[in-house]
Amino acid sequence: MSLDLGAPYVQRALLEMLLLALPAGLLGSWIVLRRLAFFTHAVGTVSFPALVLASAWGIAPQLAALAAALGFGVAQERLERTRRLGADAATGLLLVGALAAGVVLASDVFESGTEVDTLLFGSLIGLSASDVWLTALVAAGAVALDAGLRRHWLGAGFEPAGARALGLRPVLADRMLLAGIAAAAIVALSAVGALLVTVVLVVPAATARLLTDRLASLQLAAIALAAVEGVAAVWLADSLNVGAGPALAVLGGTVFALVAVATALRARAVPA
Amino acid sequence: MLSWLTEPFASPIVQRALVELLILSLACGPLGVWVLLYRDAYAAESMSHGMLPGLVVAALAGAPLLLGAVAGVLVAATAIALVARDQRLGADVGVAICVSTLFGLGGMLALSPASPPRLQELLFGDLLGIGGGDVAVAGALAGGVALALLAGHRSLALVGFDRGSAPSLGARPLRWELALLAVLAVTTVAAVQGLGNLLLVALVLAPATAALSLARRLAAALALSVALSALAGTAGLLLSFHLEVAAGASVAACAVAMALLALLVPAGRLSH
Amino acid sequence: MKRVDAGAHPREGRSGARGVVVRGLSGGYEPGRDALSEVSFAAEPGQIVGVLGPNGGGKTTLFRALLGELPIRRGEVELPGGPAYVPQTERARLDFPVSALDVVLMGAYARTPWFRRIARRDRDAARAVLERIGLADEADASFGALSGGQRQRVLIGRALLQDAPVLLLDEPLSGVDGVSAARIDALFAELRAERRTLLVATHDVRQAGEWDRVLCLHGRQVDYGRPAAVLSPETLRETYGAELIVLEGGGRAVGVGHHAH
Repeated sequence: MSLDLGAPYVQRALLEMLLLALPAGLLGSWIVLRRLAFFTHAVGTVSFPALVLASAWGIAPQLAALAAALGFGVAQERLERTRRLGADAATGLLLVGALAAGVVLASDVFESGTEVDTLLFGSLIGLSASDVWLTALVAAGAVALDAGLRRHWLGAGFEPAGARALGLRPVLADRMLLAGIAAAAIVALSAVGALLVTVVLVVPAATARLLTDRLASLQLAAIALAAVEGVAAVWLADSLNVGAGPALAVLGGTVFALVAVATALRARAVPA
Repeated sequence: MLSWLTEPFASPIVQRALVELLILSLACGPLGVWVLLYRDAYAAESMSHGMLPGLVVAALAGAPLLLGAVAGVLVAATAIALVARDQRLGADVGVAICVSTLFGLGGMLALSPASPPRLQELLFGDLLGIGGGDVAVAGALAGGVALALLAGHRSLALVGFDRGSAPSLGARPLRWELALLAVLAVTTVAAVQGLGNLLLVALVLAPATAALSLARRLAAALALSVALSALAGTAGLLLSFHLEVAAGASVAACAVAMALLALLVPAGRLSH
Repeated sequence: MKRVDAGAHPREGRSGARGVVVRGLSGGYEPGRDALSEVSFAAEPGQIVGVLGPNGGGKTTLFRALLGELPIRRGEVELPGGPAYVPQTERARLDFPVSALDVVLMGAYARTPWFRRIARRDRDAARAVLERIGLADEADASFGALSGGQRQRVLIGRALLQDAPVLLLDEPLSGVDGVSAARIDALFAELRAERRTLLVATHDVRQAGEWDRVLCLHGRQVDYGRPAAVLSPETLRETYGAELIVLEGGGRAVGVGHHAH
C-alpha cells in the first residue's frame, strides 16, 4: 500500500522523522558512546503520567514531559544520595512507579484504552504542526550543541579527571548533554511514544557504531540511517495503522540485527 | 472503619486477586532482595518488557497466556544475553536496543490487527479477571521459586557477598548467578497475568527495597520483603476498590510508595 | 570459563606431611598466554611463606591455581585439602546485610548440606573464633559498619572456621590499624603453632623478612627460600623492576613503591 503524500498528516509525519534524524544522529552517537541509553529510555517513560495529565488539563504534552523529566532528575539524585539503592534499581523503581501512576490516572481521565496506547506507542495521525515546529527547534539546538560541545564530550568521555586539566568543563558540558538528550526525547514522544524513544535516538546510532569508529562518520551515518529508517517507518506505520514507534522499532531492530551479525562474521573471518 | 477494610474482600473476584498477590509475595519478596543484592534490577526490567511479543502472539492465537509468557521470556533472555556480550556497544546500549525492538514488535503485533487483543491487560495486568486455574498455576510457580530460593539461600549469600571467595567456600559463582536469572524468569512468568509485563517488576523491586532499608540481617530482609509485598498487595486492592482505579496499577503504586517512604526515612531510626 | 588443560592433567595429591608442594606450575587465563610459569616450591606445615611480587606479577594467579580456579593450569600441586582464602576487605560487599557473626559462619557453609541448618557445634565454634580474633563484642555488628582492620579480622575468622590446613591470605595487613595488625600477627603465630601452612601475599618486604620463607614472583618464579638468602637487592630488583625503592644503604632494600590497587 503506497503512502498518500498529499495527506497533511503524512507530510507532517515524514517531516517529523526527517527532523528527528538530526538529534538521532548527533546526540544519538553520544548516547551510544557515553552509555546513556537507559537515561534516554527513562526520560521517555517518566513522561507517561505527565502526558495523561496534560491530556486531561489541555496543556502542551512537551511541557508536561519536561516537568516530568526535571522531576525524575531530582528524584533520581535524591534517591542516590540516600546511598541505599544502586542507580539502576533507583531508576527502575521510579520508572515503574511512573507507569503505575500513569495507569491509575488514566483510569480516571480516559474513557477507552486507545489514548493510553497512543501515549505509549506514538501516533502517526496525532502529530500537530506545533509538534513538528518544536522538533525543528530541538533539531537546530542539537546541531548547535554538538558543534559547540563535542570537544568537551569527547574529552570527558575518555578521561574525566584529565579533561579538566586540559581546560575543558566536563561537568557543565555533561549536564548540557543530558539536557539535550532529554529535549530530543521529549519531542520524539509524540511520534514514537513514551516507551520507544530509544528506537529513534539509540538504535540508528548504535547500528552506525557497528560500522565505524570515527565520530564524524558515525554521526553522519547515524543521521542518514535514522532518516531512511524514519521514512520507511512512516510508510510501514501507515500501512499497518500503528504508530511510528513500533514500526521503527521493528525496522531499526532488524537492520541492527543484520548489521551486527554481518560485522561479527566479518570480524571472525579476518585473522586477528 | 472496619467495613472500609473488609468490604472489598467480600467479592470472590477480589478474594482471588488477594490470594494471587499473597502467593506472588512469597516469590517476589525474597527474589527482589536477591535481585537488588546482585544488582540485577536492569535485567529484571528488561526481561519483563521484552517478553511482550510472546504475550501478544499467545493472545492473538488464543493460546494460554502462560505459554506466551514462557516463550516471550525465553526469547527476551536469549536475545539479551547475546547482545549484552558485544564489546563495541556495551551492555547498557545492547540491552536497550533488544528490549525496545521486542517491545515495539509486541506493540506492532497488538495494534495492527483488525480485532486487536486487549493490550492494556497484557501491559498492566488483569488482576480482577484471573480465574481459579490461573491462580493455581501462579501458585505452583511462585511456590517453586520460594522453595528454590530457600534451598539455595546460603550459596546465594556466599556468591553475593564475596564472589572471589565463594568457590573456596563451596559455591560456584557463575552457576548461582545464572540460577538467579532463571528464577527471575520463572517469577516473571508467574506474575505477568496479574500485574502485566510493565508493572510486575514493581512487586519484585519495591518491597525488597523497603525491606533492605529496614532490616540489618539477610534473613530478616527476606522475611520482611514477603510481608511488605503482601501489605502492598492488600493496600493496592483496597485503594483500587474504593477509588475505582485499575487494580494492578494500584498494587504497583502502593509498592513503590512504600519503597520511597522507607528510603527517605533516616537509617538510624529504624535499625534493628 | 572453560577449563583447558594443555598437557597432562595436573596431579593433585595429598602430601603426607600436610604442607604445600608445587612443581613446575604454569598457567593463566587464556590458552597460550601464561600468567605464571615454572613455579616450584615446598612449604612445610607450620610455615609462613611471604609471597612478593608486583601487581599483575602472579600472586593472585598463584592463589587461584592453588584454589583450583585457574582455567589453564599445568604442573603439579599437592595440598592436604582445599585451602581457605582470605581476600582483601575491598572485595567483600559492605552493603550486604550481614553481621560479623554471619560472615564468620560462612566458613561452615561448605560442610553443611543445603537441607540442614548450620550445626550447633559450628555456631559455637564461630563465637569462639570471634573471641579469638578479639571481636566477640561485635558479633552482631553490621559487617559494613566495622573498620577496615576489623573487617579483615572477620574475613580471617571466616577462614579459621573452615579449619583448613592451608590458608591463602591476600595482603591481610595493608592499610590495617595497629590493633588489628597486632591481633593478626598474634593469630599468625597461633596458626603456625597449629601446624597450618600460610601463604601471605604482601608488598611489605620488611614484614616478609620476618617469616619462614619468601617466594618472589614476577610472571615466573624469581626465587624461593629463607628471607636472609632471598631478600637481596638483586632479587628484589628482578622481582619488582621499576617499582623498587631502596631506602637504606648497605645492600638492604626495604621498600617497594606501588600504586593503590
